[in-house]
Amino acid sequence: MDAKFISRGQLPEWLRSLAARFAVLAPARAGSSVIYRPVDPEAPPRQPELAVKPTESAKRALFPLSEALLTFVKNQPDGKPGLELRETPPPRPCLVFGLPSCDARGFLVFDPVYAGSGTAGKFQDNYYLRRREQAVLIVKTCPRPLSTCFCNWVGGGPASTEGADVLATELKDGLVLEALTGKGARVLDSALLRPAADEQLTAAAQSRAASEAAMPPPVDISGCARALRGKFDSAGFWQGHSAGCLSCGACTCLCPTCYCFDLSDEERGSRGVRLRSWDSCMLPLFTQETGGHNPRAAKAARLRNRISHKFSFYPDLHPSLPGQDGHIACCGCGRCIRSCPSAVDIRRIVTEALGTAAEGAE
Amino acid sequence: MALREQLKKMILEVLPGVDCVIGWGAGYDALHAAPLFMRAPEDVERFLSGPLGAFGAVQNPALFLPELAGKKIGLVVKGCDSRSVVQLAAENLIKREEVVIIGFPCEGVIDLHKLRNKLAAHFVVNEPGGVTAVNLAGDHLALTAGGQEYTFKRDEIMADKCPRCREPNAVISDCFAGIERRADNIADDYEDIAALERMSLEDRFRFWEQEMSRCVRCYACRNACPLCVCRDHCAGASRDPHWLTQADSTRDKFMFQLIHTLHLAGRCTGCGECQRACPLGIPVLLLKRSLGRAVEEMFDYRAGLDTEAKPPLLTFRVEERKIKEREW
Amino acid sequence: MPLLNKHDRRPEHREARIVGFLCNWCSYGGADTAGVGRYSQPSDLRIIRVPCSGRVNPLFILKALLNGADGVLVSGCHPRDCHYAEGNFYARRRLEAVKRFLPTLGIDPRRFEYSWVSAAEGGRWQKVVTEFTAQIHSLGPSPLMADAPEFDFLKECGI
Repeated sequence: MDAKFISRGQLPEWLRSLAARFAVLAPARAGSSVIYRPVDPEAPPRQPELAVKPTESAKRALFPLSEALLTFVKNQPDGKPGLELRETPPPRPCLVFGLPSCDARGFLVFDPVYAGSGTAGKFQDNYYLRRREQAVLIVKTCPRPLSTCFCNWVGGGPASTEGADVLATELKDGLVLEALTGKGARVLDSALLRPAADEQLTAAAQSRAASEAAMPPPVDISGCARALRGKFDSAGFWQGHSAGCLSCGACTCLCPTCYCFDLSDEERGSRGVRLRSWDSCMLPLFTQETGGHNPRAAKAARLRNRISHKFSFYPDLHPSLPGQDGHIACCGCGRCIRSCPSAVDIRRIVTEALGTAAEGAE
Repeated sequence: MALREQLKKMILEVLPGVDCVIGWGAGYDALHAAPLFMRAPEDVERFLSGPLGAFGAVQNPALFLPELAGKKIGLVVKGCDSRSVVQLAAENLIKREEVVIIGFPCEGVIDLHKLRNKLAAHFVVNEPGGVTAVNLAGDHLALTAGGQEYTFKRDEIMADKCPRCREPNAVISDCFAGIERRADNIADDYEDIAALERMSLEDRFRFWEQEMSRCVRCYACRNACPLCVCRDHCAGASRDPHWLTQADSTRDKFMFQLIHTLHLAGRCTGCGECQRACPLGIPVLLLKRSLGRAVEEMFDYRAGLDTEAKPPLLTFRVEERKIKEREW
Repeated sequence: MPLLNKHDRRPEHREARIVGFLCNWCSYGGADTAGVGRYSQPSDLRIIRVPCSGRVNPLFILKALLNGADGVLVSGCHPRDCHYAEGNFYARRRLEAVKRFLPTLGIDPRRFEYSWVSAAEGGRWQKVVTEFTAQIHSLGPSPLMADAPEFDFLKECGI
């Protein structure tokens, strides 16, 4: 497919031109963090922040922190109480520029769930799917791993193209942009971009190879689903790992694969809106039942659920081949580790579950 | 004897009489410490084993006390952490006799948000997670990242709460390692609040709007707060009264910070865990310090210094000394 | 000061949105006395009757200011005159703390006042409410922080 080059100087202008067609998100610095911020076509062009891996994941592009599912008006047309429901307008197509490959792979975990894998496709989530179909993801090769990165443990890599529409690789003076899908090729059709020269393509390939080489070798976690199943009743294991946990939602909010949500009706007088907003299985309220019982009242049980869901329950539900470990619901971005106030390390929990399972210690 | 060895010795002495001793161990990399729960003598080897030593001991272990109520707990504390213990005891949220406090003279801790900002200024390195080697020698911290070495003065990456700290030694302790640091010449001029208040009112309001807009409502600020003890009965999650909506609303996010701040009026000890825990680096401690300053001005009171003291907003004087009577 | 016409849409003639939390025993009675005595008063104040000024959670004030109130007035019994003996003593500490906190938020502290008005003081109530309303008008509409786009539908119905 097409390969284009854009100079660093023209990048902001190109993003601005894309903002006419898409709701464009690009990494921007905000205080000590880097977040995905909308590119405003009216504002002066600004360089996206590409030197630092974004603090938050790009999931908000397809799974907003909060979104309106419908609005309603309570009325009384014939003197009887009535309710008028209104659909929300379709969202603008979204384009995310400069997300790391782990973020793009994160959506691969969302896809089957929102396409109704649990109901054999009977119930599909149109709110997610309509965003997903139109979205364009421009993935940027990660130059060097952080101490928290482990994408290669779970099938990814710093230059993985899975789930991406365009792969961007930084050179000294600009970026090489390689289209991977038809959607990707269409956004590269711009006068601001010129065809990439052979030496630029070579340099990009070398840069990608260097990124791959910079990753520490992966730890083999095959068998993690079974190992974690075996740890389910091991209270001491989970209490030990969750001792420092604050029960906050930093890990789940920043995670590219945490897709759980809550529904709530927010009313103002006779009008209201039904919202779907991020929820977190690390908060006690996630499982609080109306009658007062909470099946996961202890933080150890909640941590067990989060880790097991990613490395055991989800792979069990989404097997790649019969009898084999399925798709792990973690993309190895390491944000849950990096942003945890108590430095809880998901890798250690998985490897210790595997290690002790192998020793037959439990 | 080095501080770490002295503390280890004390922990080993305390350990047989308690359920566990909480301190800090090495986290997943050289710059990050993690709370360490020591139950057996071999666990003590991991105490402050990272290259930053006590400079990396950022977490406030007092946070874990209310959830461990009923057990006897040993706690290694910095000065600020000890004030949280005192405040919890003053409010009867923990029993003093259930805690064995091990104090030491704290010389300040690192602020990783600050370091992140410093590193961002060097375009080669990106952030703490990109650092491959760490060496703390005297007043300088040397970091290796991307094959290059960068040196920072300890002061420039130290948490803001440390240079103004008036209680570097534990204010309450059962045993104390080392020699107390003198701090009687240190004053808190609230320069951070003063700097904010030099901005116009409109700019301050927009400052908060800008800062709060990136909040993802993870509630790390709340859960990292040792004095936020409502846990799963938080006003922020209540549907009746309905303080906050679930929407991605900057106004609601800010309102939550105001709820947190006001519930800490006269209780906040300024340990700064709310701000440190924020994954997005929102300066929420400023709010608590502002109200803390008002309380200090009005009542000459600072929380977490005396287990017998009555929090000023739970009491009154018929004639208030520092509140001018309303003229209208 | 002239009474403002609430139907006049011109900004300079706009009625301000002022929320008043008045204690049942003194200030609410004081406002009543002012009404019975036919003291003219501006009509910008929306009164919420509370049992005691000690009932006023300081968060009521902040929530109101953050959600579009141009001003908030809390009024209770004079110190030493509280129907519940000491409710207003606690209130005084809390209200004063909030007043000193507002500048940090970027909210003009003059948007919030508290006063002590007894049930007999109709004239005093007239003075308080008139002066406070004038003060809020001089400050203009309060700043508003961004809300969620999901609530745009509220604009349709002018809420």
